This record gives sequence, structure tokens and C-alpha cells, in this order.
Amino acid sequence: MTVEIPIEKWAAKVREVTLGATAAQGGTRTRTVTVGGEGTLPFLSHEGSLPHSPALALEVRDRKPDDWSPLLYRAWGEAMDDPGDWAKAAEAAGADLIYLVFSSTMADGRPNTGENARSVVRKVLGATGLPLAVIGPGQAELDNELIVPAAEEAKGERVMLGICEDKNYRTIVASAMANDHLVQSKTPMDVNLSKQLVILIHDMGMPLERIIMDPTTGALGYGIEYGYSVMERLRLAALQGDTMTQQPMLVNPGEEAWKVKESKVGEGVPAVWGDWERRALAWESVTATTLLLSGADVLILRHPETLKRIRSVLDGLRAPA
Amino acid sequence: MSRYIATRAIRGAHAIVGEAASMLDKALSEKGADTPVSFPNTAYYLPLILGMTGREITKVGDLQSVVEQAKGLLHPVPPDRRWTPYLGETLDSGMATLLAEETIMALRFIYGLQPELMPGFALAGGTAFTSPDNGSGPSADGHLNGPIDDIQLRSWGIQLVDGRMPGFAAIVGCAKTNEVAVKIVRELQRRNILTFLSGNVNGRSIIHQLKEEGVELGYDTYTVPFGTDTESAIYALGFAVRSALTFGGMKGGQARNILLYNKNRVFAFVLALGEVDDLKYATAAGAINFGFPVIADTIIPEILPTGVTTYEHVVSMPFNEIEGADDLERAERLVQKCIEIRGVKVRVTEVPVPVPYGSAFEGEVVRKTDMRVEFGGKHSRAFEYLLMADLDEIEDGKIELVGPAFDDVPDQGAMDLGIIVKVAGRKMEKDFEPVLERQIHYFVNGASGIQHIGQRDIAWIRISHAAAEKGFNVKHFGEILHARFHAEFGSIVDKVQVTILTEPALHAEWLAKARQAYEERNVRIGSMTDESVDTFYSCTLCQSFAPNHVCMISPERLGLCGAYNWLDCKASYQINPTGPNQPIKKQTNLDPVKGYYSGVNEFALSASHQQVQEVSMYSIMENPMTACGCFECIAMVIPETNGIMVLSREDTSMSPAGMTFSTLAGMAGGGLQTPGIMGHGKFYILSPKFISADGGFKRVVWMSSILKEQMAEQLKEVAIREGDPDLIEKIADERVCTDVEGLVAYLAEKNHPAPNMPPIF
Repeated sequence: MTVEIPIEKWAAKVREVTLGATAAQGGTRTRTVTVGGEGTLPFLSHEGSLPHSPALALEVRDRKPDDWSPLLYRAWGEAMDDPGDWAKAAEAAGADLIYLVFSSTMADGRPNTGENARSVVRKVLGATGLPLAVIGPGQAELDNELIVPAAEEAKGERVMLGICEDKNYRTIVASAMANDHLVQSKTPMDVNLSKQLVILIHDMGMPLERIIMDPTTGALGYGIEYGYSVMERLRLAALQGDTMTQQPMLVNPGEEAWKVKESKVGEGVPAVWGDWERRALAWESVTATTLLLSGADVLILRHPETLKRIRSVLDGLRAPA
Repeated sequence: MSRYIATRAIRGAHAIVGEAASMLDKALSEKGADTPVSFPNTAYYLPLILGMTGREITKVGDLQSVVEQAKGLLHPVPPDRRWTPYLGETLDSGMATLLAEETIMALRFIYGLQPELMPGFALAGGTAFTSPDNGSGPSADGHLNGPIDDIQLRSWGIQLVDGRMPGFAAIVGCAKTNEVAVKIVRELQRRNILTFLSGNVNGRSIIHQLKEEGVELGYDTYTVPFGTDTESAIYALGFAVRSALTFGGMKGGQARNILLYNKNRVFAFVLALGEVDDLKYATAAGAINFGFPVIADTIIPEILPTGVTTYEHVVSMPFNEIEGADDLERAERLVQKCIEIRGVKVRVTEVPVPVPYGSAFEGEVVRKTDMRVEFGGKHSRAFEYLLMADLDEIEDGKIELVGPAFDDVPDQGAMDLGIIVKVAGRKMEKDFEPVLERQIHYFVNGASGIQHIGQRDIAWIRISHAAAEKGFNVKHFGEILHARFHAEFGSIVDKVQVTILTEPALHAEWLAKARQAYEERNVRIGSMTDESVDTFYSCTLCQSFAPNHVCMISPERLGLCGAYNWLDCKASYQINPTGPNQPIKKQTNLDPVKGYYSGVNEFALSASHQQVQEVSMYSIMENPMTACGCFECIAMVIPETNGIMVLSREDTSMSPAGMTFSTLAGMAGGGLQTPGIMGHGKFYILSPKFISADGGFKRVVWMSSILKEQMAEQLKEVAIREGDPDLIEKIADERVCTDVEGLVAYLAEKNHPAPNMPPIF
């Protein structure tokens, strides 16, 4: 007996967004990364076109972070002491993209400066040929202080600047427009807010081809189902033709998964939880895999081993039937 | 369009284009066509020419085509006796003037005449000139700034785009006195407005005036001296063009887009000081192309109708006729007027009060023992009244106390207080008065140590000891309101003036005025019907947890949460055009009884993500409006009674439906249409459109007693409207019965009309 597989016909598709610029495009990246373009729901390749694989980014900090899990320190080792080395190691680990995040303070405890941001960007651009995201520490004033010079330093490289949020997006968008970059638009798990911020950023004159939206997610066991459902609805709306939801989606399972107790803590937890490292990696991997299924186009990860696992998940899901 | 202005502008354009042509001829013969021309430190060639024509000028010879194009834009000067509209011709002449002026400046660079030399002048930061030809070397001394370089453009541009810098002012000419010149510049600096200086009157320029007064000019002070001639004003427009190219992603030659970008996004204006000659008229006409209005401090014909600019095109404000005690006050008013005409928004980021301020303090309670003084409550009378005023009528930021402060009031005493807020704004509407007035409660409450309860003439405010000791006084209410109205309602409010009244006679007088206004507002909202408007509003605020629910808010049906009525939504849309309250054109009235409108159905379909096909505005039985979960009440059909019950959220008792509110809420909410059950706002019960398709208020057979108490007066009126003054008595509540049998018996006993009405389904 043959089973007829029902095929859904969608009215529209997700917008394509390209990060990075090669020498021919006025930058210095050795390659670019294009995401988006989906004409159907994730991995339903029999139903519509899925031209690009979701991109996997590794998070790199401008300096060794103070509060990461010891497991991550172990995984990256000395590379964490220098953002250039770290980026190189991330490239070697198989990342498509470097997600460079500035800390709010410098190693000596003083507030981070634009001068430092510039030099870190220069160093990371020199160390890796991958496209880059350049992200502030998440405090409006400091973000602007750091991102504006960093954006200038990376002019022409088509980096993604962030994070644009409802209360603070104008300066970052302006510096992205002035230096031909992209922006990450982040809203707290709400379809309409996602849409609204995209509209507001677009209203400033930013082309939609340069906006990636971050609908925000939670880790496994910490609200991922809520985030999942928001992403699912955004993607359904996009495919149904709601143009302001058609941006590729970025989420940060690395940050979310590594701040929960299950992955962060190795001592004083029930023995039945099992091996710490195994558990932590599973937490990040399952969170990330779930998000792929809900339509993520860019995943930010922290552990190189997770990246390997997700790559293999992707290879499996994208393999021809 | 004023014929006078057209004549002068066209005449000015002819002269300057002629001058450009002869200068070019001279340069061609003396320097040759291949001599390079450029402005320093810019990648945008000659920016205005690049933007408007797409030409990348690199050498003298390239300028020929520019001059030819400028000539092509010239029109004959209108003859004396012809009265035709001249706007198009004038704008063309303006553009020709700008092309000619940039040509002239570029040629002056070749001759070492730019930047303009001014011996003894030192720039406080400026464009770096490395060419030794201009006699100044790389130093910033001895010359004016000339054009702005790309690095500074980018830095200021970001601030202009993100709103930290509200706009720029191009000042041309010479102020009445040095003092006035300083005041004008200081007023602009105070508002973070970038200022460009150029031009002169009879050889004397505002640059000379400021230099004499020792005002520092340059990048560092946001006040840039371009040159003492009118032509140098072209650098301001070159800056504007480059903003569009840099931040608007436009390419050279996209003239229309560049001009529109400037009109819509670059809040700039021209301030012409002193006599306006032909060339200034012509240059001003050029600026109007960019949507930049022109304000003159002398008598010139005005062009008030809007069109190219957002508001008025040309406004004359003869300096000596401006109201004000002295020239300094006049200068201040002049600047204020410029800001209004361009629609520049002022930002107030901090609330200037001596106590901490933030939403965290909103719920704070000040107990009697901690209290320094109170206004309202048992022992005194406080009221707040917000009204709309004309822009010219009030002064932004003016906060006035009329009567004594509370220093003489004994500790824990009370005193009368009136807070009168006058707001003005281009987009302000009388209907927004109550919407804004209600915000006073939230705004005042945000101050630590201040408690605010109530509104209108039942306001009750307490100031704690702690706050009073830190220096909080009644005038600070004004500071709070000024700052917060600008911050939260900047899109509809341009000016806020606050009067704090404690003087007894005036207090009484204004209280009477306020009460009259409250009454008028009640009547106004009470008399608004769904038929009287062509637009309803949506509310999708709750889609974060009820993804497919959309509220349709009409004058006679407020939002189910009770927090948003039609006027609130209208104001909310003005404030936040991309927000959750969108206008819905009613369009075709498909069924006036049930309340089907084609526009509402279309909106529901799309906003509910294809889940809701049709919505009836006035029926609970057929396609009732969906609900999220925050409804104040649930209405539900009780089949045995041929009527409905209305259960309040505040009522935790059992209902005749056999379920409590919290159990029923699951059925009423979630964005699903369930005929026979509906979530709604409390005040909807009073509306003539309350389930009017199903028989209206007479269908109510049971209602939570708390609703009966809270709305006793209004319900009485509804009963009278329904033709049954005793109706409320006939409606059961949880004190009478919480079961159907008891309810049926009660209705029969009281002779309630519902059982005898046509079957509800």
C-alpha cells in the first residue's frame, strides 16, 4: 500500500540574510554565511526548499569570563586568555560564525572601553576568516559606547551587531547603517514584540536583509517550550506571508543551557543525576536540537563538543531521504 | 507661495548661477580642466552635487555639466502683474542655487580661499586641513571650519539617527546684538541641537559676534562656523546629503529619496537672522527642498501652508515683536519657535527630583505616622486637571506655584492642592486629555516617599517625612509631570506647563472649572456611539499568552480587561503607531443588529492567524468576541432561565452555572469562540450595546453582588433606560442563590422579564 504524504503549500518564505564579506565584497572574511530562505517548516525537505543549513556559532569573549562553568574552562583551556586565540580555536572546532561578546569590565575591573573594543575586534578579525557577530555586554549605555567604535573598526565586514532591544536599538542600528553591518534584534518571547522591533528597526532605514531576529529562548526545563512555541508561531506567520516575521531566527542555547544548575554545578547534586560533564553537554545539546526543530537559523553555542554533536544532528536531518 | 519670495529667490538664483559660471570659466582658463577639485576628508566628492545629480566630481572640467544643469533649473523672474503659483519654480531655483554654491566653494578651495581665513580665530576642534595653501597649515587656527569631515559626520550622524541629538540648526546672518547671538547659541546647545553658522548682514556675521564674546566654536562645542558668507551654508546641506547617503543607504543621484530622507528623519531648520537678501532667499528655497523650514527674525512674507516641509515653510518672527521682558527672553522664544516649526522633539531623560524615582516606588504606601503632609483625603481637597492649550499659549517646562508651599502646615497636617497641567502638541487632541490626565497617578507615584491615590477631584497625595527632608516640595510634582509626559507621550506632547495651586480663591475657581470639564468629558464619552465613528481599534497586547486572541475595541465596548477604552486606544496608536492598538476601519456594516463589520472580520482573520473568521460585536450567541484571560467579568447563558449571568472576577463564590470564576475562566479565555460564554469588561454591562443582539441588559438574571455595589448608580440608570426601573432588584446574586433551581424560582417570584423574552437560542 502506498501512503500519500500530504504536502503543505506555503505562500511565502523566510528572508535570506548573509553575514560576512569576502575581499571581493569589500571585507576580509574567507567566506560568508547565508541563513534563511526556508520555504517550509524545518527539515521538511520533501515539502519545500531549504536552501541553507542553520549556522552554528561559538561564543567568544573579549576576555576570559569570570563566571563560566569549569567544564568550559577545561574545554577551551589557554585559548580563553586571548580573544584571537579563542576565535582561532572556535574556527578549528568547526564553527560557522564567531559570536564575539564584550564583557562589561576589563580584566582589571575597570569598565570596558571603546578603545579596548576596537582592539579586540581588530585582533579577532585578524585571527579568523569566519564572519563575526559583535555583541555588547547588555547594558544600554555601555553597549552603545562599545559597539559604535567596534562597528567602525569592522567597517565593510558585514558583522552582526547586537543586541538591539526595545529600549536600546537606535544607536546600534545607526552604527550598523553607517558601517554596512547587520543587527540582531532581540525581544522577550513574544510574537508581536518580535515583529514590532523588526518594524521599528526597519523604519530607521535598515534593510530587512540585514536584520536577524532573536525571539529569546530558555534552556531545557527552563521555559524552552514557551520559546519553542513562539518561534514556531513566528515561522508559521512568516510562511503564511506576514512579511515582518520573515527574518531568520537566532537563539542562544549556549548561554541559556550553561546558566542552569544542571550544567553549572557538579557538586552537591543528587547522585542519580550522573556524570556532570555528560549531563552538561546533554543539556546544551538537547536545548540546541530542540531549537533547530522549532526553526532556528543561527544557534549560539559554548562548548566545542556540543557543536560537533549538533553538526552531526544537522547532517542527519538534512541528509537526502 | 508668496510671489515676493518667488521673485527674490529666482532673482538670487540667476545671480549666483551666473557667478558660478563665470568663476568656472576663470578657473578653466587659469587652472585648467584637469585640476582636481574636492572637499577635504570626505569620500563623497562634492556631496550635494553627488546626491542630487549622481555626478562624481573630481576635476574642474566636471563642473561644467553641473553649471549647465543649474542653468536648466532657472526660471524667468515672474513679471509684476502675473499671479501664478510659483512653488515649483522657486524650489527649482533653490536647487540651482545649491548646485551653484557648491561649485563656487569647490573652486574657492582651488584658489586657497576655503576654509575662510579669519586671523586670530581658534577652532575648538574641527576639520583637519593639511594643505599648506590655505595659509594655516595643519593647525586649527586662523580659519573657519569649512565643510564637516566624514569622521565627524559619522559620529554626529549616529547621534542624529538614534535621537540623542534632536536635529541641527543652520543659522545664517547676524543677530540683533552680541548678547542675543550668544543666547541663541546657548539655547540650541542646551537642547543638544547641532548648530552651523554662516552668512552676514552688511559684512557682520554671527561668527564675528560669537568670537567677540569669547564663545568657543568648533566640533567640541557642537557649534561649527562654516563661513561669513551665505554660500558657505551649502556645507550644512552637504552634511544633510551625506547623512542620507551614510545612514539612509542611498546612492548618489537618488535625489528624491535623499530629500525625503531629510524631510522625515533629519530635524533641521534654517534660522535667518537680520535682513534677507536675494541670495538668502534663494538658498532658503534650496533648504525647503530638504523639508527644512526657514524662520526669519525680520519681517518677510510667510509661507504657512504645509507641503514640502512637515509644517510651515517660511515663518517670520520679527525679533522686536516677540513677547518677552528683554532681548534674551526674545531670543529664547525665537529658538523655541524654531523647534516647534520643525517638530524637533525634546527629550527629558531624568526626572529632576531630590528623591529616587522609578516604577519600583509606584505601590508605596505612606502611613499617617510617616507622613509630613497630605493633600486631599478627609481634611483637605486635592484635584488634578489636565487640559490642552495652544502651542503659543504655554511655555514648556514652566512650573509655577501659586500660593504658599507646605512649610507652614503643621506636621502630619493637610492642605488644599490643585495640579493643573497644560499640554500642547501638534498631534494633541482634546480627546486625549482624560487619557493623559489618568497618567498623573502613575507618574506622581513613581517618586519614592510619595503616595498618590485616586484621580480628578478625589486625588489624595501624601508626602513622607523622608521625602520632605530630602527637599521634596510641591513644585516637584510639576517637574515629574513635565519630564514624564515628554518621555512617555513625546509623540503627542510638545510642551508641558504645570501650575500648582494652593492659593484658596484660585483653588476654588479652578476646581469649579475642572469639575465642569470632568462632566463634559463624561458626557462626551457617554454620548459616543459605535455608529458615530468609522474606526475601531484592536488590542493584541495579550497575544503573548493568548496568541490568537484579538480585542476589538469600540466606543461602546471597551477592552475586556477594563484598562483600554476606545479613546485610550486612539491615543496609544498615536504614541506608538506600530504597537498593539491598531486602527480598524469598520467598512461595510454587514449586520447592524449583531454588529458584523467587514473591516472587523478581516482584521480578526489576520490577527488571529486565521483562527477567527467572524466576530459579532454585540452577541454572545453567535461568533462572540474571543477573550485572552484578563477579562473583568464572564457572561454566560443559563439555559433554564432564558437569560445570562454575569460573574465578576472579584467574586469567588459558586455561580448558578455550577462553576466558580476560575473554572469558567478556562472556558471563556484562550482566544476561542464559545457561543454562550464570553469574557468582557465591567463597564460593558452598562453599554446600550451590551449583548444587544440577544436582547440586551434585560437578559441579565444573575450578577455578582460586588458589581451591583460598585456600579449601583449607573445600573439604576441602565434599568431606567431599559424601561424597567426595578430591574436591578429582580436580578439575583450569590447572596440569593448559587444554583439554577433557586434562580428560576427567584426570577418567577420577582417577575424578571428574561423568561418571557424570545428564546435566547
